[in-house]
Amino acid sequence: MDRRNFLKLLGISSGTALISSCGVDKANEKIIPYVIPPEEDIFVGNPAYFTTTCTECPANCGMQVTANEKVYHDVRNIFPTKLEGIAGHPVNDGALCMRGQASLFRLYHPDRIKRPMMRDGDGNFRVTTWKEAYAKIIVELAAATGEGKRNMYFSGRTTGTMSGLTDDFCKEMSVERLPEFEVFSHANLKKANDIVFNRPEIPHYRIENADFLLTVGADVVETFMNPVASANHIQKAKDKNNLSWYHIEPAVSLTGVQASKRFAIKLHSEVYLLAFLLQSLSQQNSLKKSLPARISRLIPDYSITVIAERTGLSEENLRLLLSRFANAKTPLIIAGGVSTAQENGLETAVFAALLQWATGMTDNTVDFDHAENYGSVGSMLDVRKLEDSLKNKQVGVLFISRTDPVTYLPEAEQFVELMKNTRLRVALSDFMTSTVQECDIVLPLSHSLEAWGDAAPRKGIRNVIQPAIEPQYDTRSEGDILLQIMAQKSGAASAQFYNDYLIDKWHSLYGEGETVGMLERGYREEPVPSLPAILSGDGTEAFLKNAGFVVESSDKPVLVITPSIRAYDGRSKVLPLMSEIPDPLTTITYGEWISVSDKTAKKMGWKDRDEVAVELNGVSLKFPVKVQHLLPENIYMVQRDLIYPQATPVDSRSGEESWYVKDISVNATGNHIPMPIMSGSMHEDNRGLLPPEEEEHPYEHKEEHPVGRMYAPHEHDNYRWGMAIDMDSCIGCSACVAACYVENNLAITGKKAHLNGREMSWIRLEPWVKDDETINYDLMLCQQCDDAPCEPVCPVYATYHSKEGLNTQVYNRCVGTRYCSNNCPYKVRRFNWFDFRLPEPWDKMYNPEVSVRTRGIMEKCTFCIQRIRHAKDKAKDENRLVQDGEITTACAQTCPTNAITFGNLMDKNSRVSKLAHSNRAYRALEELGTEPAVHYLPKKESKEEA
Amino acid sequence: MKRRVAPVVITAYFLLFALFVLLMGYFWNENQKTPVQPINFSHQIHVSKVGLQCTFCHTTVEKSRFAGIPSVQKCMSCHKSVKTESPEIQKLTKYWNEKKPVPWRRVYSFTIQNYVYFTHKRHIKAGLECSNCHGEVKVMPHIERVRKLEMGWCISCHRAKNAPTDCWTCHK
Repeated sequence: MDRRNFLKLLGISSGTALISSCGVDKANEKIIPYVIPPEEDIFVGNPAYFTTTCTECPANCGMQVTANEKVYHDVRNIFPTKLEGIAGHPVNDGALCMRGQASLFRLYHPDRIKRPMMRDGDGNFRVTTWKEAYAKIIVELAAATGEGKRNMYFSGRTTGTMSGLTDDFCKEMSVERLPEFEVFSHANLKKANDIVFNRPEIPHYRIENADFLLTVGADVVETFMNPVASANHIQKAKDKNNLSWYHIEPAVSLTGVQASKRFAIKLHSEVYLLAFLLQSLSQQNSLKKSLPARISRLIPDYSITVIAERTGLSEENLRLLLSRFANAKTPLIIAGGVSTAQENGLETAVFAALLQWATGMTDNTVDFDHAENYGSVGSMLDVRKLEDSLKNKQVGVLFISRTDPVTYLPEAEQFVELMKNTRLRVALSDFMTSTVQECDIVLPLSHSLEAWGDAAPRKGIRNVIQPAIEPQYDTRSEGDILLQIMAQKSGAASAQFYNDYLIDKWHSLYGEGETVGMLERGYREEPVPSLPAILSGDGTEAFLKNAGFVVESSDKPVLVITPSIRAYDGRSKVLPLMSEIPDPLTTITYGEWISVSDKTAKKMGWKDRDEVAVELNGVSLKFPVKVQHLLPENIYMVQRDLIYPQATPVDSRSGEESWYVKDISVNATGNHIPMPIMSGSMHEDNRGLLPPEEEEHPYEHKEEHPVGRMYAPHEHDNYRWGMAIDMDSCIGCSACVAACYVENNLAITGKKAHLNGREMSWIRLEPWVKDDETINYDLMLCQQCDDAPCEPVCPVYATYHSKEGLNTQVYNRCVGTRYCSNNCPYKVRRFNWFDFRLPEPWDKMYNPEVSVRTRGIMEKCTFCIQRIRHAKDKAKDENRLVQDGEITTACAQTCPTNAITFGNLMDKNSRVSKLAHSNRAYRALEELGTEPAVHYLPKKESKEEA
Repeated sequence: MKRRVAPVVITAYFLLFALFVLLMGYFWNENQKTPVQPINFSHQIHVSKVGLQCTFCHTTVEKSRFAGIPSVQKCMSCHKSVKTESPEIQKLTKYWNEKKPVPWRRVYSFTIQNYVYFTHKRHIKAGLECSNCHGEVKVMPHIERVRKLEMGWCISCHRAKNAPTDCWTCHK
């Protein structure tokens, strides 16, 4: 470059700098007042709280919404910025899973349907008015009825008042209400309970009362029924009854890894194990209720050797299971998930139900009185019936509400063709799903945070849904839509609002006073009549006579399509946070993968990221490999949201669809696919992140070579903040990670950044494989070291040690040298390589208490300094010190098992002090002498099985 | 001769440019000190003449980080009947009728990124007067910024009053 060009460039750049520097100064920005202030006293630092119900999955957890005052696009308003569980709620007791917390991304999703639409003559969608859409529906309904056709209402799971209103609507408008569509219909469980107890229901499992829990395939801490409640109750049972929890599964799941003991079982052989338990317990006279002879003689009875051979469990383990069962006072068996969605699934579920009855579980741990509300949920058989009606051109108007059969049914193209046999298809949805694309009228639904409603997840609980924000677009709630259609048909000038309808219903059910209490609490518990579960001898006998017990003999590879803890059945995949947070078992974030057994991988010479072609059902699908330890040979796993639905056998008795695709073949293609695996290694290699083996205890090591200190120890006045993490309680659900993302405005960086290792999470779960037999986790976040290696290397003093023991990061002092990150042995510092600001309108969810960091800045866990500041401010107002338990970090708040304890280490009586000084406590990489403020309590080795 | 002209011209050119930048900076700063507000609101009238307390409008100063700015409804609670003939009040009425917020210009703000946690509440509770930082607002017909809110100024006071000087007291 010559001098002339250099000067030119210099001129341009300095000029640009001058202009841009003017823009940086925000002194002349606007300051926007309210036009009309809200009724409550809401201001920054004093957010509004609403109690409502999470609708991200059918579990319906109680949810507390934090809504903060903010100026957005020159309007001052309040916006929901954080979702937490309601403390003491009968379902989730203060915790909320990562999907629930990410529901904010659904509320502010840019792809939401914003106004009603109708298909015009050319087949394109055009914006319409609600009135016009309703008029068309009313005309078509009448015309279809005139033609002798049936109108149908096909929806996702509906409970509470909405279910009654839907019935009213269907009656009024002569529409048939179909059984609801859920991918996880638990059809075999319902059918089994119908056979054994004449109750086609899913009971409420009272894990908190159990002292021995055997989960057979049911992924109780991931997706099965209510994972948050299950995790919470497992912890309660551990504290109360010293629970031991065994898990049996043919594949591998996070639930299995977290259980006290996990047994891998041969494919479809769960039924033999349960039959063995039933027969042996009966022979030992350990059953609380003896099975009638006409039933017990129909239960397969094999010797322990045969069972061991069939199930792949050693005789020793079978005896262990048996003795655990016989010695338990209040055992509980839960069959479900991969173990009931298979050819022997119904038999497995029936034997589990028989065990539940015979061992007296139905009297305490299996609660049919508070059964989960799955009564109106149908199965694949009901879908077949709908398809038949469509095939025979019997359907006039088809309403499809809150469900997406075209995405979830294997024969999607066929279903789309069949849908065309109707006069009119009306979709009620929040997103343009594949099903909505095939409809004629699209009625956009409000998010549950914008609408009124209620939900009844199980008998005896009524949850309130109340809005925390006005509808952001021209959307309405399903209740309002149905009421308005009915009103327009009857010629009424205006329809009743759904919230008035709800309040009328609540008043008539509970009275006015109770309704107010329910709205404040967010839920109401109702007494339910007690009806003991009675064994139906005839039903069980009839079933067992015809039952077939398939023995899986083929050793061909099998693909298991598993539920996903991040996407549930696929519905939460639209939430970007769910791709940003790693899958806890594999630590993969974005993209798809196939889990391959480590043994198979070794044999075939496959490594992570090698591409394989999977031949199944006549098609070839390509996936990168992720080597999965603990997975039996010849079993492959793909999560449900990563593969399009596969045609698998449907049990004609129950309508349950199998999750297994048999006779697949897997071959390497030779390609290598970049895949963001966040964990660098699956082996800890005794580095000191997990508690060391007994032989080489670090404390002994430390005494030999005392760690030298270059500086005087830090002095603390009143506070030294610290944390204790109990890895025995932690179930790896990653709710803490989601809480941190939302609370601290962490950046969503995307796949490309993740491939370069540029994720921004301040807290992460690290799985470590030990001896190819167990997977242990650690939860890694900034350790707030007293002698922090990051501090002395900062050339600009942007990170330093505060009086309260916090390793601080001053954003506007940071110049981005990244020395601190290089020097951090825990690798918990995150660098903003770019401006990762959330695009509109997602930026509405930013927490105003926390800065949004810009490019070139280092960041890390602050122990939720904004929460500490808030509590200290409050304490100062009251002229006292902060009390123990007054501050919880976001991660600790949402933990379903209370594995994380935060508090003041200077207070010898604080919970965190006691845990930090307990015999079990250790610190990560302690021999480095960093003096971390985070103390870990390792996973307990269950002694009994040794 | 020719060879001598060029440096003079170049120097003059750069001097002129520097002067231009300085002038721009001066006016920019002045403009910021007393930004032109959408309504010619006078603190002098409201405080000295009418006798309103600061907290009458800035209601959350004792309980929040922010002092708070009155809602349009609050302005209208008086100005529905007071001084309705004034063209400035008619501007206010127009905002109210259109249910739009008045786009006031911010006078006090921390520069660069908003990486600062500042709470009015703590400072008021510590016994500071509004005027300690904001000057004699009651004599300002046009509100004017009297401090630049630079860290050195904050720290000097914190040191003098023995208030905490840990970075995370204020930085976030």
